[in-house]
Amino acid sequence: MAKPLVFSFNGAELPLAMCKVERSDLYGFVETEALDEKGRKCSTGSLASDGQTLIGSRGTAIANLAHDGTWVEKSQLSPVDGDGKKLAAVPSSFAAPIPLNDTATIDEYLSHSIRSVYQMTCEGDAWGPLQAELKKGTIFSFPYSFRGGLQPDAAFLLLGADGNTFLAIGSPTKIEFVGLQQQVTAEEEDAGDGEGDEIDFGMI
Amino acid sequence: MGTINISNSKGRDAVVNTRSVRSALKVRWLDGDGRQASTVRLLKATLARDIESLQESAGGLDKVAQSLLDGDPEVDIENFGRALRETTRVFINPDGLMVHKVKQFEIVRNPDGSERERRPRKVAQQNTATETPLKWSGRMMKKSDAYNKFVFSNKLQIQHVNGLTYDFLFGIAKDLEEKDSLMLVGAGPKSNQPLIFNRGGSSYRGFLEGRTKGDQYCLILHLSNLELKAPSAASAREED
Repeated sequence: MAKPLVFSFNGAELPLAMCKVERSDLYGFVETEALDEKGRKCSTGSLASDGQTLIGSRGTAIANLAHDGTWVEKSQLSPVDGDGKKLAAVPSSFAAPIPLNDTATIDEYLSHSIRSVYQMTCEGDAWGPLQAELKKGTIFSFPYSFRGGLQPDAAFLLLGADGNTFLAIGSPTKIEFVGLQQQVTAEEEDAGDGEGDEIDFGMI
Repeated sequence: MGTINISNSKGRDAVVNTRSVRSALKVRWLDGDGRQASTVRLLKATLARDIESLQESAGGLDKVAQSLLDGDPEVDIENFGRALRETTRVFINPDGLMVHKVKQFEIVRNPDGSERERRPRKVAQQNTATETPLKWSGRMMKKSDAYNKFVFSNKLQIQHVNGLTYDFLFGIAKDLEEKDSLMLVGAGPKSNQPLIFNRGGSSYRGFLEGRTKGDQYCLILHLSNLELKAPSAASAREED
């Protein structure tokens, strides 16, 4: 069983089990199959620029080169941001309990692109007070990093419309207000009947 | 920067710009001298030297071991380790040869993996910047009802291209802000078809949100291809 994510709420520590929710779990999935003229299944690979070297899916590797072109191990390199400021590593969110102190508004939540979603569950009634808070519509926010790394993701703990608790992990976006002067370069009408068709996510 | 052809509540339409709002941390890696390091893609192995090819040339798996002892047939000293620049994605048949003509099929599977449908592959065409504008669906959903129903995995900011389209988009943003709602945006005559921004690209449901601040506006098209709900069967995977 995977390690639970532990939250600290109202002085109690709550270990919540994580279960990833994916499109394929809800709607199924589509596989693409390519057959040659004899009806045999083909795989994909890469053709090098010499026009004759065929490379399979695991036939390439990424190497790090120092400024003079010599081989260098990743561990010998240090990360900096765009301004050259050294980046410190953040610990994994599984290393210590996560305090649920901060909340986000709906607008703040909507300003993030959500990359992955987990259904959160807890054995017993220990998380009753947390669920009660979530039922009020509270969205808890905190930084999250699975393995630890250079920058944590933004994470939100919220109650879904179906009554389940979810952890949404994503990143902030560069949404900005624009005025008339911030013009961007570039370049029939038929009244719809607006019938309330169901939003079908399975068809996409 | 892309474009989108959208309509307002009066049925007027305009082609305006879309901008990606993704913000990724720019990380640079410095070497021991504090100078910028770089990455390069190297050739590690080719199909001509993989186990299947060696087996065929040696005349059986049992003879491969001896051929490895006798020489280095699995390594192409001239090529392995060289930097790869442009490569082309190709189809390869079971004989390890490049195939120029393939028939592609899509196999639609249920959540449990069982086959639902098998059909010839059809490449979806983009439908957001065509001559036919995306209609004003009028299907509003309060923000407080929508935020925990859908997973908004991507966003585009819609921006004007001239003074006329500034008024047009500001009006839409104001309208949506006053309703405190997201409006469903879809393609097709009933606005119920998914949005596809690039040929063969992913399809999404669109939800338009408007915010204003003085004479500035922010029109965001939230994109979703997933509802925020638990799978009916406990088939979801744990963190990988």
